[in-house]
Amino acid sequence: MKPLTLSRLFLQCTILGAILFCVMVLALKFGAIHVSLYGLGRDLLRVFLGQSKQISSEYSLIVLNIRLPRILLAVFVGASLSIAGTSFQALLRNPLADPYVLGVSSGAAVGSILALLVEPHLALAPEIAAVFTPLGGFLGAVVAITAVYFLGRREGRIDSNTLLLGGVITASLLSALIALLLTALPSSNFRGMTYWLMGELSAVPSRPLAWVLRVGFLIAAAVIYMTASDLNLLLSGEKEAMHLGVDVRRVRIVVYVAASALTGLAVAMSGSIGYVGLLVPHVMRMIFGSDHRILIPASAFGGAIALVIADTLARTIAAPSELPVGAITAIAGAPLFIYLLRRRLA
Amino acid sequence: MRTSLPSTFSRKAVLAALCCAFAIAPLRANQSTGAATPKESFRTVQDETGRSVRVPIPVRRVVSLAPSLTESIYALGMEDLLVGDTEYCDYPPDAMKKHRVGGAINPSLEEIAALKPDVVLVIKSLNRPETVQQLDRLGIAAYAADPHTIDEIRSSVRRLAEVLGNAAAGETLDASLLQQETALQKKLQNVAPKRVLFIVWTDPLISVGKHTFIADALQHAGAVSVVESSQDWPQMSLEEMVRLQPEFLVFASGHSEAVSRDVDTLAERPGWSDLDAVKHRRFAVISDAVNRPAPRLFSAVADLARQLHPEAFTEKSETSKIVALTVKNE
Repeated sequence: MKPLTLSRLFLQCTILGAILFCVMVLALKFGAIHVSLYGLGRDLLRVFLGQSKQISSEYSLIVLNIRLPRILLAVFVGASLSIAGTSFQALLRNPLADPYVLGVSSGAAVGSILALLVEPHLALAPEIAAVFTPLGGFLGAVVAITAVYFLGRREGRIDSNTLLLGGVITASLLSALIALLLTALPSSNFRGMTYWLMGELSAVPSRPLAWVLRVGFLIAAAVIYMTASDLNLLLSGEKEAMHLGVDVRRVRIVVYVAASALTGLAVAMSGSIGYVGLLVPHVMRMIFGSDHRILIPASAFGGAIALVIADTLARTIAAPSELPVGAITAIAGAPLFIYLLRRRLA
Repeated sequence: MRTSLPSTFSRKAVLAALCCAFAIAPLRANQSTGAATPKESFRTVQDETGRSVRVPIPVRRVVSLAPSLTESIYALGMEDLLVGDTEYCDYPPDAMKKHRVGGAINPSLEEIAALKPDVVLVIKSLNRPETVQQLDRLGIAAYAADPHTIDEIRSSVRRLAEVLGNAAAGETLDASLLQQETALQKKLQNVAPKRVLFIVWTDPLISVGKHTFIADALQHAGAVSVVESSQDWPQMSLEEMVRLQPEFLVFASGHSEAVSRDVDTLAERPGWSDLDAVKHRRFAVISDAVNRPAPRLFSAVADLARQLHPEAFTEKSETSKIVALTVKNE
């Protein structure tokens, strides 16, 4: 394999970025209301030139205020889940690891539901109330990954298989807890909650919340990317990495917390969208190899592209009704995953 | 691999990426315009959940996101204002010809926005709070109704008519519903309430809690639910039902023959066959209008009362007509 250079990294990221841009433009075009590609191109040009006042108000409302925020949310959630999946797979040296298998997503879901249940009883300032659910999601994710981490320890060392099993058990325990918590919700919230649990992107965050998500995402993604070289060395084994001068303990904690933060934010916004964190890193590894310095950004772009496409399908297949995007990713993801698994074995 | 690059590689890449991210960020700032086109005059009303809603005067275009609200609009005779409703809005049949904006839980925001509604009607017990938040974000007025009892359905419909700019229609409908209601209560004043089990679902057995409007509707029909749960849709154990032995089973359905067949099937099942009501085929069928807090509920309640207390609807009917007339003349 050719050595990775900064220019090659930027070239590959630019290509992926261009694909993401094209997918986003197409996603802007498709939806319940017909929008012509020409009109869309003209309006996008006006936005880039800073002349958004000239756009007809209907276009601006539907394309810029309804579709675009939702597409950006899909980009954010897809990238978060994929980065988290890549990190967990590297840390545990197990390709089956992902936020769902490890119970992190279920933890985030429990945290979000608890936050929703508690929030009306606390007299919170509106600014805090707006970020209360994602905060609950993040805390739930951190608690879940901490629990799974301790479950996976054997004689002071992490045993990857035990950890995965611990994750599976934690996830099933937490799903039972979710089912119980849901019965405590008033029926109007219940309907929304069951929909949210299937994974959906219709709840575009408010402005302050959007900033929290954006900053949280950038910090967590940057922190994980800083450890990319260490993750590469970790692939050859913990002992080997330690001998090569990697502070394994520190890397592990930093990446666990950052990946949990990404998962928590994503789940709080969009519920359980499965398979993105599992599948996208696999596909990207096949294309770009397992050097995390390229794999992490590639997975971020790949996850974003995959989720924007899935959400566009969710918006259009049964239009004007909207399907939960989690159902789309699962229906597309499960067979694809089995195919990849069989091909790998062969 | 590691040696092929300087150790600051990751840091440089992160820095570059951050610069890109913040360069794109301002893009979002200049697109908060749009939303409703400027109208001549507005007023602010409070909806039933206490939110302030800014509606134009007059209201010309309305989208309903709940079947009960669609029915209310038709009952008020204001269907000309209705430009869109949901795929579940099937009554009156004319409502199915309106533009569909998707389901009540998962409507398409862009379909709603494209209809340029002056106000979107939602109901707290059915629609999602997220839908209201998204409409708020787009600057589309969303008015939420939240009736919990039969009496609140009347006031809710009246308030809705007032918000939509036709208070007189609301008062007329309110008066006629009150008249129906008074006439019914007059007939039922001397009967003992029947202890009933309202069946939402048989497998598993789901009934209604005491805070639902169905429980209230049962009381207005001269019945009382044997279920005293504070959950809205509690799952009940059959054992407990055998212990409580409800006098009547009440099913909500559009087809009473189908219910009759269902009861025949239940009579052959262990547990169910121990219920006296099943053994003696004591069941009543209320129109599925009972599932919607709309004016049609009043006649559904009267219909149920007639099935539960046939004796009250025979000789006294003349006197109650006179009462009804006096109420109308007020």
